[in-house]
Formats: sequence, structure tokens, C-alpha cells
Amino acid sequence: MQIVIIGNSAAGLSALSRFRSIDRESPITLISAESGTAYSKVLLPYYLRRKIPYENLFIRRPEDYTQAGIKTEFGVKVKRVDTESHTLTLEDGRTIGFARLLIATGSRPFLPPIEGLAGANVYHLWTLSDTEQLDSLFRPGQRALVIGSGFIALQAAWAAQQRGLKVTVFELLPRIMPTVLDDRAAAVLRQKVEEHGVEVRIGIHTEAVERTRKGLLRVQTKGHPPLDVDLIIVGAGVRPNTELLDGSPVQIDRGIPVDEYMETNVPGIYAAGDVARGPTAFGETHQTHALWPTAVEHGRIAGANMAGRSVPYQGSLNMNVTEMFGITVASMGKFIEDEGLTSHVIDEAGQSRYVKIILREGIPIGAVALGDADDTVILGRLRPWIRNQRSLPDVGGFLEGRYLLPRQVA
Amino acid sequence: MRIVEVDPTSCVACRNCEYACAFKQTGDFDIKDSNIRVNFYPEERACIPWTCVHCGEGWCMEVCPAGAILRNPETGAVEIDANHCAGCKMCLLACPSGSIHFDKVELVSKKCDLCGGDPACVKFCTSGALQFVEEEEAYSFRRESLDNKLKRLFGLNKRGS
Ligand SMILES: Cc1cc2nc3c(=O)[nH]c(=O)nc-3n(C[C@H](O)[C@H](O)[C@H](O)COP(=O)(O)OP(=O)(O)OC[C@H]3O[C@@H](n4cnc5c(N)ncnc54)[C@H](O)[C@@H]3O)c2cc1C
Ligand code: SF4
Repeated sequence: MQIVIIGNSAAGLSALSRFRSIDRESPITLISAESGTAYSKVLLPYYLRRKIPYENLFIRRPEDYTQAGIKTEFGVKVKRVDTESHTLTLEDGRTIGFARLLIATGSRPFLPPIEGLAGANVYHLWTLSDTEQLDSLFRPGQRALVIGSGFIALQAAWAAQQRGLKVTVFELLPRIMPTVLDDRAAAVLRQKVEEHGVEVRIGIHTEAVERTRKGLLRVQTKGHPPLDVDLIIVGAGVRPNTELLDGSPVQIDRGIPVDEYMETNVPGIYAAGDVARGPTAFGETHQTHALWPTAVEHGRIAGANMAGRSVPYQGSLNMNVTEMFGITVASMGKFIEDEGLTSHVIDEAGQSRYVKIILREGIPIGAVALGDADDTVILGRLRPWIRNQRSLPDVGGFLEGRYLLPRQVA
Repeated sequence: MRIVEVDPTSCVACRNCEYACAFKQTGDFDIKDSNIRVNFYPEERACIPWTCVHCGEGWCMEVCPAGAILRNPETGAVEIDANHCAGCKMCLLACPSGSIHFDKVELVSKKCDLCGGDPACVKFCTSGALQFVEEEEAYSFRRESLDNKLKRLFGLNKRGS
């Protein structure tokens, strides 16, 4: 049974190892548009700010692929998928047949429709080659504008600041990290960002980018004087890489919707990772998380089912953690107060510590923690409660580090 | 492989295990550095020491975006390679029992490595609540396998996500 996996990253590699743990025999071809062995996207900002050396970006050695007994096609893009004849067409014209196919092509950054933005000196922090390019441009004294304030945008801002650049962050919405933090947490983080000398402007509408004769970028905004910078890093969201399916019967709807077996509407064709929209722990059927752990879980489920098992996915529980500007920021599940929800909050502004657990009828459904890494550990312990919908009667005690296990069990 | 088995009914909450673990790592007795932690359940008047159980297919190992968490082929322990850990803390959030901690000096994550096969916490346990036993025999006092126990306690599969 010929297996083809498109994507040499979190989802594709997790599927590969799961598949191989069940089926040692079936031939597998792993295809990636990027050349070279797999690297970790999550680590790119760590390299950029010199926390880790370049070689630590790579999470596979060439021999890992040989040992897995697979054929690799790296540095070549898949152009088209023909579901009738079960073949793929590569950009160099070659075709590859498949019995089962996994699409783990991930996503790519989106360029907002700002006049003049597309062009020279505008970058993303998304791939290894983006990172290498930014690395060569990060010289002390350069001025950088970061458009967007999500996880990746702020990590780019921090790396740039750490490398001696003068950094400004623009966020269109009224607070930073709009999709990962609540208002209060965003305010605490913003203060940290600003303490590091990064200027943050929220609720700002970028109207146009002009290129001056000196090669600078002049950024025009509504209601503010123009800002001159040497480079712009755009972190304003991502779009799934689904072009290879254009014209095929595989359903696309802001990503590839998959069922609980990670299979698309076309039998034998699976999707996983950033490109896929799978079930969540909260019962939603099709969601994009664009997170590493979700991609790993997706891949594991897809790999098992492609190998003939019948393993349903329990649904993803979004979790996110990072350290930036000297503070650990973690969130998971649903963490915005809404009607019918209660919250338990620790807010020690003086120590830049903020922890919030959101509950629905006593059952935790999400949390945010800012401050020390110890609170991240507590959030990790909360995951089983959220997953298993166990009620947590003593939230205060839990936050103090008691109650490792649900009380009725202990 | 052998793991640290915990018998909560024998634990007397002396926290010697925490001191032993901290000392082994740092040469100092700051129990905040310990990888094993004693959890208190005041209403139930119970305490349970807890440390990594070196899950069969640990979710931390799978999720680590640096590939820094590996099983030691000799002891079977799930270990963090400090030279490859980027300090992203994903494993802290992934571990359902809170058994991974952050080393604020080295800026990497750390966890129980079974002290290379001779765990200090067990050696210094005053009540016999901690035993270093074969995985299959662990938790036999409840006549259930470790995986089942985990599943019941955390509602997880072996992998633990
Ligand atoms: C800078 C940065 C920091 C991040 N930090 C975090 C973090 O802290 N926490 C977190 O949870 N997530 C983080 N993420 C997100 C995380 O990296 C992604 O969710 C994850 O990589 C998704 O994995 P994937 O396998 O689905 O896709 P990707 O990692 O995007 O890999 C896609 C693969 O498909 C290949 N491909 C794409 N199109 C084609 C084609 N047409 N033909 C052949 N091959 C193709 C690519 O070459 C690549 O190998 C970060 C991302 C970035 C960029
Ligand atoms: S903190 Fe280190 S060991 Fe833990 S997931 Fe991140 S890189 Fe891996």
C-alpha cells in the first residue's frame, strides 16, 4: 500500500512515526517543498534571539529518514492532487501514485491588504529561510516595525529587541495578543514589552507604506505622524496551504475539514496540522488551532488510521506557552469570560503575576497564566480536568499547588 | 524498567524526598528545586508525593518541538537533554501531573531522571511510601496496572494528552 505524506514538519512527522510503529512494510514517500531535513518552526525565534545555536533547529538527521525506511522528495512542491487516478503531480512534472495520502502542508503567513506593503524590506518570521534572512538583517540600531501582536509577532519583536534593534509594534485591535490573552493579561504583558523599550501602539490602522529614496519604509497611519523604519515584520495571521487541492473534490473551507479520524471527505485522503480543521475537546467539529501540539496530535491520529487502525480523535485542546520579555505567558482552552461562566483570578500586578481559571458550572474550561513558569505547571495539571470535564471545587487550593488528582479519587 | 512507586497511605508528609531530590540536583536544600512534590489534600487529611511515572508514550516526548525529550535506553527514564532544550515550556504545559519544572538558572526544563537508576527520593523516604520497583509490579497494592491507574486518575490514555 503506497503511502504518501506531504509535509516534513510537526503533523507529517508525527503521522510518519505513528504509521511506522504499526506498519513497518508499506512503502512511504515523504514530500516537502523545503529542502533539507526537518527543522522546528517553534524554535526559530529562539535561534533568532541567540538562545539556541543554529544546529539545534533541526529535529531530524538524514539517517532518521533512512532508518524509517522511507523515500524522501525534499525541495519539490506538490502542484496537484488527482483523486480519480490517485496520483500527485510535482512541480517538476513528475507524478507519484498513492493508495493513502496525508496532506500536512501547514499554513503560510498572510499579508494584509495595506497599500504598498508588498515589496522590498517586508518580511515574515515563518520558515527557516525567513529566519536566515532576518538574522542577516538584525543589526543593532536598525529600526523595525512589527505589524500584528500575536504570539509569533511578539516573539519576532522580542528577538529584534534583544539583538539591539529599535522596535515598534502595531496592533489593529484595542489590545495585544487578541486571540491568546484576555484584556488584563494583555495589559500585564504590554507593560513588560514596553519596559524592554519596545513601543506598542494598539488600535492603530496602518494605511500605507511608502518607500523613500533612501530605501527607508515610511509607514502612514490614521491619526499619527508617519513612522520611518528600515524593515517591517508582518505577523498578521496565517492561511492554510490548500492550493494543491484546487479543482479536486477534496472539500476546502478555510482549511481542510476532517472527521474524527482525520480523513477528508474523500476516502483515503487525510489531512493534519495547520492545514486541517479537526474536532476540538469542546465538541466543535472543525477548528483550526495552528499550534504545534495540535499538529502533533492530528498527525498521530492520521498515522494510526492510515495504517488501518480505527482510532478516533478526542479533539484538540488548544494550549500555548512562551516566554517573552522576561515573562512566561500561557493559555489554554476557553479563557474569555462569557455569560454563564465564572472565573477565579489571582492578580498580583506588582509581581507581574496573573492567573485566571474559567469555569462553567464548576468545571474548568480554560485558563491563562502570566508570570512565573510554576503557574504553567499548574495549568498543565488542569488539562485533565478540562478534558474529562471534572468539577473543581477548590480552585484556590488547586492554584496553590495542592490537588494533583481530582479529589474524589484522592 | 523500574519506576518510583508511591503509596499514599504510608506517606507521613515529612518531605524528605523533596529535600533529597533538591540536594541531589543543586547541593542545596531548597525544596522548590525538587522534581518530586508532595501534594496535600487537607480536607481528606491525605498527602501524595508525586513524580514522573515515565509514561509509555509520554505526551511530553511527543510534543517537544526540539526533540529534546528522550528515553534513556539503560534506565528507561524519560529524560530532558539540556543541550537541546530550548526552554519553550511546552512540556510543562503538556504534563498532566505537573512533573516537569523549569530551571530558572539554566533556563531549561528539567524533570526526574531516576538519578540514573538509583533515585535519591526513595533512598531517603522515611516511611517506605516510595519504592523503586519494576513497572509491572508497581501499584500492585491496588491490583491495577500503572496505565490503568493513570487512566482512571487523569482520564487519559497511556500517551497522556
Ligand atoms: C516562528 C514561529 C513560532 C511558533 N511558535 C509556536 C509555539 O510557541 N507554540 C505552538 O504551539 N506553535 C507555534 N508555532 C506554530 C507551529 O509551528 C505550527 O502550528 C506547526 O508547525 C504546524 O505544523 P504542520 O506540520 O501542520 O505544518 P508546517 O510546520 O507549516 O509544515 C508544513 C510542511 O509542508 C510542506 N509543504 C507545504 N506546501 C507544500 C506543497 N505544496 N508541496 C510539498 N510540501 C509542502 C512544507 O515544506 C513543510 O514541510 C510557531 C510557528 C512559527 C512560524
Ligand atoms: S521546554 Fe525544552 S524539553 Fe520542554 S518541550 Fe520545550 S524544548 Fe522540549
